Amino acid sequence: MNPLREDLPHVYPFRFVERTVEKRGPAEGRVRALVTVNGRRTEGGEALPPLTLVEVVAQAALLLEGGDPGIGRSGFLAGVSDFTFDRTPGSGDLLDVDVRIAGVLGPIVRFEGVVTDGEGRRVCSGAVTVKKGVAA
Amino acid sequence: MEQVAELKGRVKALIVRQLKLEIDPASIKDDAPLFGDDPSGLGLDSIDALELVLGIEKEFGIKVQDEEVGVKAFASVNALCEFVESKAA
Repeated sequence: MNPLREDLPHVYPFRFVERTVEKRGPAEGRVRALVTVNGRRTEGGEALPPLTLVEVVAQAALLLEGGDPGIGRSGFLAGVSDFTFDRTPGSGDLLDVDVRIAGVLGPIVRFEGVVTDGEGRRVCSGAVTVKKGVAA
Repeated sequence: MEQVAELKGRVKALIVRQLKLEIDPASIKDDAPLFGDDPSGLGLDSIDALELVLGIEKEFGIKVQDEEVGVKAFASVNALCEFVESKAA
């Protein structure tokens, strides 16, 4: 079994992150994503749409959290806040997604993420709120 | 007495600012429930609760990590002020 297929509930063509490259703590660290012209994520063009970057941060957070994909499937993205986009990544860009937990209350978790490109330039930053469990 | 009123003012301003509500902070009743369907309350939900947790930490330097504590502390402005005072004491 390919472990990459078991670490997230997301699968092709909606899986946007590759792997964890640095783990600093529970749900904190760095995840790598790659933009390819062949990838579904570029939606036929050569650039990664800004809204897809929000999903990149959410998937990076889930990957770092190391949760059970089955549990992940029953959770949902509950909110997006404070996102700013500095540049649009294009095909060939290697993205680093740095994530940390900003707050937790029961099943609700807020993750903050910063995406930079291979040259260290900021691509975007913002926060996603995830609620674990079945949507009401 | 003035300190209590000042704290209530800070808490109400925090709620409005953190949740981006378009209401006058002074219109929030001290004892009205913040959560739930009570028409006299604000009708906040669990996602709003996390926003308040982050706001309380930023404004007062107090961490709320236990959901049960959060439910009690966020029952009303009065409850939230009592919680802040107890942590500051």
